[in-house]
Amino acid sequence: MKKVKIVINGKTVEGVQDQSVLSLARENGMYIPSLCYNAEVQSSGGSCRVCLVEVHQGKSMRVVTSCNYPVREGIEVKTDTEFVRKIRKGVLELLLCRAPESSEIKELAARDGITEPRFFTDGPDVHLKNCIACSLCTQVCEDVVGVSAISMVNRGREKQPAAPYMKASNACIGCGACAYACPTGAIEMTDTPDARTIWGKTFEMQKCSVCSTPFIPKEQAEWIIKTTGKDRAFFEKCPTHR
Amino acid sequence: MATIQSADQLEKVRETLRAGVKHDLPSVLVCFGTGCQANGARDVAAALEEEIKKQGLAVNVSIGLKTTGCHGYCENGPLVVLRPQDVLYLKVKPKDVPEIVEKSIKEGAIIDRLVYKDVNTKAAIAKYHEIPFYAYQKRIALRNIGTVDPCVIDDYLINDGYKALAKTLTMDPEAVIKEIEESGLRGRGGGGFPAGRKWRSCRAVESDVRYVMCNGDEGDPGAFMDRSIMEGDPHSVIEGMIIGGYAVGARQGYVYVRDEYPLAVKNLEIAIDAAREKGLLGKNILGSGFDFDIKISRGGGAFVCGESSALMRSLEGKVGEPRAKYIRSVEKGLYDKPSVLNNVETWNNVPVIMLNGAAWYAAMGTEGSKGTKVFSLVGKVNNTGLVEVPMGITIKELVEKIGGGVLGGKAFKAVQTGGPSGGCIPKELADLPIDFDSLTKVGSMMGSGGIIVMDENTCMVDVARYFIDFLVQESCGKCAPCRDGLPRMLGILNGITEGKGTAEDIDTLNELCDVLTWGALCGLGTSAANPVLSTLKYFKDEYLAHIRDKKCPAGVCKALITYRIIAEKCTGCMLCAKNCPQKCITGEKKMPHVIDESKCIKCGICYDVCKFDAVMIQ
Amino acid sequence: MDVTIAKVDEIIGRYGKTEESILAVLQDFQREFRYVPEEGMKRLAGVLDVPESRIYAMGTFYKALSLEPRGKHTVKVCMGTACHLKGANQILEAIERGFSVKRNHTTKDKNFTVESVNCVGACAMAPVIVVDEDYHGHARSSKVVDILKKYN
Repeated sequence: MKKVKIVINGKTVEGVQDQSVLSLARENGMYIPSLCYNAEVQSSGGSCRVCLVEVHQGKSMRVVTSCNYPVREGIEVKTDTEFVRKIRKGVLELLLCRAPESSEIKELAARDGITEPRFFTDGPDVHLKNCIACSLCTQVCEDVVGVSAISMVNRGREKQPAAPYMKASNACIGCGACAYACPTGAIEMTDTPDARTIWGKTFEMQKCSVCSTPFIPKEQAEWIIKTTGKDRAFFEKCPTHR
Repeated sequence: MATIQSADQLEKVRETLRAGVKHDLPSVLVCFGTGCQANGARDVAAALEEEIKKQGLAVNVSIGLKTTGCHGYCENGPLVVLRPQDVLYLKVKPKDVPEIVEKSIKEGAIIDRLVYKDVNTKAAIAKYHEIPFYAYQKRIALRNIGTVDPCVIDDYLINDGYKALAKTLTMDPEAVIKEIEESGLRGRGGGGFPAGRKWRSCRAVESDVRYVMCNGDEGDPGAFMDRSIMEGDPHSVIEGMIIGGYAVGARQGYVYVRDEYPLAVKNLEIAIDAAREKGLLGKNILGSGFDFDIKISRGGGAFVCGESSALMRSLEGKVGEPRAKYIRSVEKGLYDKPSVLNNVETWNNVPVIMLNGAAWYAAMGTEGSKGTKVFSLVGKVNNTGLVEVPMGITIKELVEKIGGGVLGGKAFKAVQTGGPSGGCIPKELADLPIDFDSLTKVGSMMGSGGIIVMDENTCMVDVARYFIDFLVQESCGKCAPCRDGLPRMLGILNGITEGKGTAEDIDTLNELCDVLTWGALCGLGTSAANPVLSTLKYFKDEYLAHIRDKKCPAGVCKALITYRIIAEKCTGCMLCAKNCPQKCITGEKKMPHVIDESKCIKCGICYDVCKFDAVMIQ
Repeated sequence: MDVTIAKVDEIIGRYGKTEESILAVLQDFQREFRYVPEEGMKRLAGVLDVPESRIYAMGTFYKALSLEPRGKHTVKVCMGTACHLKGANQILEAIERGFSVKRNHTTKDKNFTVESVNCVGACAMAPVIVVDEDYHGHARSSKVVDILKKYN
C-alpha cells in the first residue's frame, strides 16, 4: 500500500494511494456531507453528488465526488469553497424536488439555506416516496447480502429500486439490510410480533426458544444455513440467549 | 475455403482477383440506400435488369449499397449512376428505364430531364463528380462507399483491402502506435481525444488481457455517418480494429452497434464471417502469430450507451449506466481490463493512415485537427447528406457551396453541431473553420459530425427545449443533476415556449446549467447544458421575446402563434376546410375562407395542404 | 406469436451461455413475441444463473424492449433534429388524433403501437416515419393517417 500526501483545505494529510478523498478527509476529522456512500459497500457512491469537492492539480480544477475520487500524490482538495457550495446547493435543491418529504434531505438542504425548492416536486406516482435512486439498497442486496432480490429499474426520473416484475420477490430473504442502509428511510419495512413485511412479501419470524422474541425471518435463517453451513440450532435462540 | 497464410499470399490473391475484373463493361449502378429504396429503387433496378436482358446487352447492373451507399441525394432518389460516363440521374422512375437503356447505355447520350440542376444557377450538370455536392468533397473515410460491395470481401481486397493490415503485422506495435500518433488522428466520436495517445496509455498498463472496442452506437440526432460506414464499408472498420488490437496487444474486439441499424448489423456480420474464413480474423493472422477476433453486440436503444463506460457495462450484459471515470478505461475498462474504445469513423481511418503514412494524413486539416471529417449536413439546406471534407472548412463553405444554400431561399440563422452535447452557432460565426477546438471554443462541439442547418423559421428556444426533452428521456437516472435537473430545466423551457416565462427564468436556467456541467456524473450530463447555454449566449433576444413580449419570432411555438388565411391569396378551393380536424375553417366555395381561432388547435394541416400559400403564421 | 417455453428455449439457445448474451436474447424475445414476457426473463435467469432482478432491470432500461405487448404494426415517428425542424411533432399529433392513441402507446384494436423515436438516420428525407420496416419520407400531417390506414 503506497502512502501519498495530499492537501485538503490547506492541510497536508497522508493517505493510501487510491483510497477515497472522502474517507481520508473523514479520517482527519473534516466534514463532507454524503448520502449514498457507505464504507462497507464497495460499489457504493457517486450517485447523490452531495459530497462534491474541488480537486486542483496544476492549473486544472475539477469538481468531483469525493466518495469515489482516488487519492493520488500531488492533488489539492477544497471541500468548502463558494463555488462548490453553490453547486452542492443546486444538487440538494434537486434532491429536495425528488424527495420533498424526506427529513434527511430537508435537513441537509436547510444547512445550505434551502427550505423550499423553486421547482415542481415528484409525487408518489413517479417513484418510491423519499427515494433518491442512489442504489445503495440494491448494492447492499447484491454485494453484501448476496441475494440480488432487488435492482434499480426504469430510467431517468422514474428510476427506483424494485423487485422483479414489481411483484413480491422470490429471492428476497427479508433481512432488511436494504432498509437499514437507505440514507433516506425510503424502504418500507413493517415488523409485527409474528411477521415482517418488506417489498410486498411477508416473512414469518423465528422466535427465541427462551424469551419468544422474534429476531430473524425464518427465510433468512434458512438462507444462512444453506450458504454458510451454520448449525440450525444456532437460530433457535436469540443473540441474548445464545 | 483455404485461409490466406501470409502477406505474400494475400498479394497473389489480390492480383488474381484484379485480373478477373472486366473493366471494359459499362455499368449501371442503382442506389439501394434507405432513401432510394423508399422512393422505389427496387422497381427501377428490376426494370433495368429486365430491359438489359431483353435487349441482350452486356452491362453490369449493380444494385444495392455497392453503388453509392447513401450519398446524400436521398430526396432525389432513386439515383442511377452510369459508368464509365460518370453520369448521375436523379428521381428515376421505372418508366424512364427503356429510354435510359436506349439512349444512354447504347448511344451514350444524356437525358436532360434526369440530370442535376443547380438550385441557384439552374445549370444542368450531368457528371457525378462535377456536381458541387461532390466536387468539394475529399473522400477518405467514405473512400469505398459507392465502389466496394460491402458484402463481398473480394471487392474490398481488389481495392487494397487488408493491405494495411499485412504491412502493420511486419511492424513493431510501438511503431504502429507512433504512426497513429504522428498522423494526428483524433477520436471521431465526440471528444476528439488523440487516438494514438489512447492506444499508448492502454498498451502501457500491465495486463494479460486487453480489449479494443468499436463504438457504433451512433445516437446524436442528425448524424448518420457511422451508419453509412458500417453498412457500406464494414471491412475498413474491421481492418482498423485488427490493427488497433495488434498495436495495443488485445486479442478480442467488440463492435457495439445501435439496434436501430439492422442493415449495419447484418453487413458487419457478413464481413466478420468472411474475414474469418479468409484467415484475416482468428488464429495466427497472415502467419504472424497474432490472434484476434471480433464479436458484435447490439445496443438496446439507450443514448447513454454511446458514453464509453456505459457502453462497456452494456457489453458486459448489464444496464448501461456510466461510472465515474476517475480511473480511465485505458486502465480499467471492459471487465476492468485495459481497453481502447474508438468510434466507427476513427477505426475506418486507421487502415488508410497505415497504408499512406502519418505525414500524408497530417498534411490535411488544421493545426490541431488533422485529416478529413464526415459531416451529415441536414436540416433546412438544399443538398442534404453525408459530406466528407478536410477539417477546417468554414461553416459558410459547407452550407453554401456543398449544401447549395438554405432551403427555399430563406435566411440562414444558425447551425447546430455535436448533437445534444453540442450547441448552436449563429450566422455571425459563419466564417468559423470547423475543427474540434474551434467548435468547443464557441460553446459547441464536434460530436460525431452532425451539422443541422437552421433558418429564420427555426425557433432557438424551441431547439433548446427539443434537446433537453431528448436528454430527459435518455438520462439513465443514476445521478441527481441529470436525472432531476433536466426535467426542471425542461419545465422552465416549456413555460417559456408556452408564454408563461418569467423574468427570473434565464438566471434560473443558468444556475441549473452550472449544476449539470459541474455536478453530473458522465459526459452526457456534463454536456447536457450546452444546447441551453449556447442559445442563451447567441439568441438571448429570442428568449426575451418569448418571455417579455409573449411572441415567438420564428413562428414555431404553438401557444404564441395564430394561423390566419390571407383573403387576397385564398382561392376558396376548400381544401383546408375539408382537412381541418377541428372543422373550424369556414367559407363559401371560391370565396376567401376564415379560421375560427377559438377552436383552432394549431395542428398546421391547413398550412400544409394549402397550394396557394394563403395560410400564414402570425 | 404465443409465448411457449419451447420458443423461449430456442431463442435462448441461439446465443452462448454468457452474460454478454442477455441483451441479445431479450431483443429476440421482443422481435418474436412483440414484448419481453416474464416467463422468458425467468427462464433466461435460470439458464444463465443470473439474478432475475438484473434481467428485469435491463428489461425496464432499454427502450428497444417493452414489457407490455406491442401492436401488430409499429409506427416510429422520427424525432431527430432534422425531422423536428421539419414538423415531426405535427405528424405525431396527426397520428395521435387520427387513431385516438397517445405516443408510446398501443391503439385499442392493438393494430398500431405509436412510438416517438430518436433519429433513424434518414435525415435527408425528413420528416420520416417508419412503419415496421417501411420508410416513409417527406411525411405530411395531412397525409399520414391515410398512409397508416393501409396497414391492417
